[in-house]
Amino acid sequence: MPGGNEPLTPLQWQPVPGQKGAFVYPFTRKVDTVSSNSYLVQTSGAIILIDPGGLPDQATHLASIVREARAERSRPLLSILTHAHVDHFIAARSDPLLADPEATLLAIQEAGASAIESADGRLTMADLLGQEIPPIRIDLRLVREGDAGMSQGPVRRMSVNAVEITVVREPPEFGLPREQILVGNDPPLAIYHTPGHSPDSCCIRIGGLLFIGDLPFAASPGLAGIPGWNREALIRSLAGIRELLSRGGIAVVCPGHGRILLAGDASRMLGAVQEDTGTLTGVEELNQDRARETAAFAEACMEQVNELFTVMAGRLYYVSHVMEELGEDGIAADLPALLRGDVIDDLVEDFAGFTREFHSGRYMPIHQALKGGQVISRLERTFDQEALARILDPTLLRRAERLLGDYTTMLRGYNPPREVVLVDLPATVGTCLSGHTLPSSSDEEVLASADDQEAFGRLLLARIGMPPLLSDVTVTFDAEAGIPAVPVDREHFLDLLTYLLEDLVGTGAHAITIHTGTERDAAVVTLSGEGCTGRPDGGIPRRFLSGLCERAGGTLDAREADGSRTYRIRFPLVP
Amino acid sequence: MEITTAARGGAVVLSLAGRIDTVAAPMLEQAVNRAIDAGDRKILLDFSGVSYISSGGLRVLLVSAKKLKGPGDRFGLCCLTADVLKVLRLAGFTSLFSIYTTEGEALAGW
Repeated sequence: MPGGNEPLTPLQWQPVPGQKGAFVYPFTRKVDTVSSNSYLVQTSGAIILIDPGGLPDQATHLASIVREARAERSRPLLSILTHAHVDHFIAARSDPLLADPEATLLAIQEAGASAIESADGRLTMADLLGQEIPPIRIDLRLVREGDAGMSQGPVRRMSVNAVEITVVREPPEFGLPREQILVGNDPPLAIYHTPGHSPDSCCIRIGGLLFIGDLPFAASPGLAGIPGWNREALIRSLAGIRELLSRGGIAVVCPGHGRILLAGDASRMLGAVQEDTGTLTGVEELNQDRARETAAFAEACMEQVNELFTVMAGRLYYVSHVMEELGEDGIAADLPALLRGDVIDDLVEDFAGFTREFHSGRYMPIHQALKGGQVISRLERTFDQEALARILDPTLLRRAERLLGDYTTMLRGYNPPREVVLVDLPATVGTCLSGHTLPSSSDEEVLASADDQEAFGRLLLARIGMPPLLSDVTVTFDAEAGIPAVPVDREHFLDLLTYLLEDLVGTGAHAITIHTGTERDAAVVTLSGEGCTGRPDGGIPRRFLSGLCERAGGTLDAREADGSRTYRIRFPLVP
Repeated sequence: MEITTAARGGAVVLSLAGRIDTVAAPMLEQAVNRAIDAGDRKILLDFSGVSYISSGGLRVLLVSAKKLKGPGDRFGLCCLTADVLKVLRLAGFTSLFSIYTTEGEALAGW
């Protein structure tokens, strides 16, 4: 076993556990949608390439390693695909050795063979990833439906340079259809059909190694729901592979992307994937339209995430600074660690850079959508929500949580949840305004805490960290009598009101007037700020705010004139 | 981000242009430190060319203000764009610094 924490060392030949005389050469990459990991295995009878990947440089490197191995002993090259997604195989086209049907035998499960031979852009993911694929001939179709009735026995035989290759149908194991491939006098390698991530997904066992393709990612946001994804099949496949792992004999698990795993770690990971998969009912197919919609939502969300997290980080720096001034150096030093501003800045910048490349045409909507998911899942790990809730305005945290949650929900293939109920608009607006006018604790509470140092410290921190948004602004609220209740998602509406009030206060409004009323077929909430400094966009509401208003059940427009900015939210009246 | 330094009316004015992002924030910190190390105790940051400030940028403002709070020291910001001013207001930073509409207004008071 190599040193360090890696079960196998990348870019190096090393013994295959459990199979004497066999060696494995892993080519692993960080997780992305451009190219998969690749693995070379050499035995006395053959060289096996599992997933050539998606990048020409990768194929060139693999081919050079194959040539070196063949220079020592000439053997057939058998390329087996774990499934027919373009990032796992298209690189083979770019190298003469791997692309030559006389030099390389290409094998894949039957459904994947059909997809590749017919250049099916949907099942190969080429359409979503913006790639053109030519039809490619498949030499060995594995685990064919038509052979399912055969209990056991050879189903195909071929001879390459006098080396016999035989595919043998075996009885299903752990509920998984399977075959063995016999090459010369080598021990058999086993193919398990594990559909779910795609109809043709297979796991391949060679000695104590198990190659599992994209099983670990099959329930991930943005991948659950891709064309050909099947929840029930995935659950069966995961259960079968976990059972296989539990029987022993497999030491190391090689995934299609990312780090190689010890069998125990892989089993736990696949258990979590199985659990996640169980919750994924009614996932919409991630087609090009859905990818475009999700990518646009990612971009709109990140505009707001950027502002929200910068304000939260800034507010923590501010509280820390005030505590330092008060001589509470210990508390001051601990506060910035509750939210990793540096990490957030890096993530936001990373997404902004990716977005520029996306708009220049380098990436497809699915790439942008997945990038958004990657950034947001990391953002979720940058802040200690429970601790922050004691110091920062809870509406900031609530909105951050909903923003990140809504995006992940959408990337998972669902629409963000909406709970539309009939809402009394003036009462809801009144509740929102009270929340932004009253301090986090009353003067009486602060006085009462004076004898309890811990309680006093807690209230003091909250008072500094949560000044009421509207404390320095003159607010006038008037409501027409008799406005009928309208269907509204109350939580999204409250978030929207807070964002709009923040915008007015933040751009300098010294007076804000709020009016609720009706006009023709709609109930209307109007928020006007006096003294606002203008924006170059003339006050057009940000895409995020318009989208949020739609999720709340209304429509939003904005007007800007002579230092005043007005937002109007319209909710249709129930006929 | 571009930073232009000029001495005016007994103060140093750092005119900033671009985004104060994760790369630019340390540049700004170094520029302010250079001015302080050179003996300048009145520093004005002209934000007229700044469209975005990250949390790292906010931290640099705070660190700079702490270094310039002795008698006779001055640290201020002027010409803030609406988006940057909004972030400063919502983060509570406007009570920590002197903020001016124009460079002239700042220097006249110093």
